[in-house]
Amino acid sequence: MSGRVLRLLLLAALVALGVWGWRLLHPSPEHIIRKELAELARTACVPADEANLRKLANAQKLASFFTSDAELTIDVPGRFSQTISGRAEVQEKALGARSMLGGLTVEFLDVNVTVAPDAESATARLTAKANLPGDSVPQVEELKVGFKKVEGDWLIQRAENVKTLH
Amino acid sequence: MGTEGEVAPPPSLLQRVVIGRNPKITALRLAIWVVLLLIAGKFVLLRIQVEGISMLPTLKEKGVHLVNRQAYLFHPPRRGDIVSIRLAGEHLMYLKRIIALPGETIAFHNGQAVINGQVLEEPYVKGPCYWEHEPEVVGPNEYYVVGDNRTMDFYDHEQGRAERSRIVGKLLL
Repeated sequence: MSGRVLRLLLLAALVALGVWGWRLLHPSPEHIIRKELAELARTACVPADEANLRKLANAQKLASFFTSDAELTIDVPGRFSQTISGRAEVQEKALGARSMLGGLTVEFLDVNVTVAPDAESATARLTAKANLPGDSVPQVEELKVGFKKVEGDWLIQRAENVKTLH
Repeated sequence: MGTEGEVAPPPSLLQRVVIGRNPKITALRLAIWVVLLLIAGKFVLLRIQVEGISMLPTLKEKGVHLVNRQAYLFHPPRRGDIVSIRLAGEHLMYLKRIIALPGETIAFHNGQAVINGQVLEEPYVKGPCYWEHEPEVVGPNEYYVVGDNRTMDFYDHEQGRAERSRIVGKLLL
């Protein structure tokens, strides 16, 4: 009797291990996008003493998260409004920002990912929290980020801020 | 004649204080408390910490408070309530006061909130305020929320119409 229970437990453990291994080797689009967003947030952080070559490399890396026709729109009424079009402009703006914002930290919180039925596009909603050097209160924006699958990679095609309070 | 069973010695004072007279009942009570606390934490109360100065002087920066998620189970949000408003989720939320209800018209004139043409008495607002803002109508499923610290510039202060679905709960204490 105990031998049968042991065999059943062993079988259950093997099934669980198989499922875990399968998920590890074949991550879901949602999992990939979450990982990518976490990596994007890490890349967007700017160390206080970032060297010029590192600045350029990180700006290039940041741009690599976007499609060549990506469009980013940030509109904070009364304060700031900007549209960035294309990967090249993303890189240019990122490089400029990195020069001014040494010590910036970025976090993406409450990431909700919805993958389209065709699994070729997805939308992520998240709260971005940025601690700017010298500011005691973090900047907070709700973002809607559209992803597109390009040659097997999930890239950001559009991003815009969501007005939580209208 | 039967023989008497062995009588267990009474528990020591230390045991009575720490785990009670009956450890099984104590464990059951503990389990019930844990379940109740988990339910309260998940469905009723939400612990929040204030970051920023927009609710001064009512709520101090770094202050820790509780939000009651079930406050609006039986009635809609009311004017004057301090509510938490979610962004993409509940890790970071706005904490604001409701000053205008669905369907009302709100404006700011000479630093005072004007609701449907009437100046709103707001004893919780301290310090000078010079806000001027054109009248706007609050939508049928929206509430106009603003912080108590009106000494900030109008556009530096997060405020505006929040959809009902974004209101997570009411500040309890």
